[in-house]
Amino acid sequence: MKKTIAVKVNGIERSAEVEPRTTLLELVRERFSLTGAKLGCDIQVCGACTVLLDGKAVSACSVLAVDADGGELLTIEGLAGEGGLHPLQRAFMEHGALQCGYCTPGFILTAKALLDEQPRPTDQEIRDYLAGNFCRCGCYREILQAVRSAAGR
Amino acid sequence: MRSFDYLEPGSVEEACGLLRQHRGEARVYAGGAHLTILMKQGLYRPRVLVNIKKIAGLREIRFDAESGLVIGALVTHREIETSAVVRRHFPVLAEAEREVANIRVRNVGTVGGNLASGEPLTDLSQIFIALEGRVEIAGPGGMRAIPVEELFVDFYQTSLQEDEILTKVVLPPPPARSGVCYVRFSSSSVVDKPSVGVAVRIRLQADRDACADARVVLGCVGPVPSRARGAEALLAGKEFSQELAERAGEAASRECSPVGDLRGSEEYKRAMVRTLVRRAAAKAWEQALGAA
Repeated sequence: MKKTIAVKVNGIERSAEVEPRTTLLELVRERFSLTGAKLGCDIQVCGACTVLLDGKAVSACSVLAVDADGGELLTIEGLAGEGGLHPLQRAFMEHGALQCGYCTPGFILTAKALLDEQPRPTDQEIRDYLAGNFCRCGCYREILQAVRSAAGR
Repeated sequence: MRSFDYLEPGSVEEACGLLRQHRGEARVYAGGAHLTILMKQGLYRPRVLVNIKKIAGLREIRFDAESGLVIGALVTHREIETSAVVRRHFPVLAEAEREVANIRVRNVGTVGGNLASGEPLTDLSQIFIALEGRVEIAGPGGMRAIPVEELFVDFYQTSLQEDEILTKVVLPPPPARSGVCYVRFSSSSVVDKPSVGVAVRIRLQADRDACADARVVLGCVGPVPSRARGAEALLAGKEFSQELAERAGEAASRECSPVGDLRGSEEYKRAMVRTLVRRAAAKAWEQALGAA
């Protein structure tokens, strides 16, 4: 049994025929060749596979691709605009908020969802919102600084 | 994940019909927060997934003085956390939700899925039981309602029949002179499942000197969330003292059956139950003193 789904991916209408068991992560990585979202823990704990579905952060590893049918998906590849990098991307570079980079797309997209909801978060709000994203290089302090600076604080 | 057929019914009746037709081989799919993980691990291998997310009418959050707070099965954790209605009438729920898993899980995980999964390491069920919540369940024969505590049977087992769907949770308006407190403790990362979660509701007598009745509900320390009836009996009719709260905690710590795991040994969890019940009882009492 296959199902055809239509998804707006980074602003572009796309469609795909998928088996219902296909995860959103398989869809973006293997069908759409968008490999910014990474497979990490595979149980919604680490945040490496974070994408924004209709503006909300979700674990692509555990959401079915069919769930995105009719929805709007933002992956890290869609974040930079005509004017270059997104302010969060620039801030992550400026503050050295990454080492290996595996967790970075997830962190940046989660931070984007936060700033969309709450443009001027406090440090505690940033910590709470990002608590579900893991950085095994341990750049947490720099990540906090980067998000703070992207929020204009 | 093993392949499966994917169905999207448009109504509760249609969904129950499909569940009946595929009895034993179908699973209800809502947010997927719990289900997709167990399917990937091969613990659940349904042949049919019945997605109920397209069904209208299961997403409401509303409060009225007569029925209380109604939370549709498809309401997400995040919606409870951020709902003005919940904050106003049951702030304990919004506060608890801030600590549930992480933002991604809260964005997709639903109240109905949380309860219907029968997952014992979770938060909402013990709060709902403390608040005398009911769940409404739709089946081929119509609707039935049961107290939340009667939903849970054993680890990952509920009293839902194979062709039934949990449609809503209803929390009656809080009684006068009552206070409720939920304390959860996570022994590893802040985003981990709780090691112990305790909900206590205290209702005071008319003169506010003594407790009329108490609900002490223990979560994560047994196959199902359960009431510590000995602790409840200890609190009823008494005036507050730290010593009373301590004794209630001690009683509760003997009324549970925790299993030692990565989140703490059996002994550790019993000690946490004692402490959390003591704290939650004191806070709920204080709140009840100030309540209308």
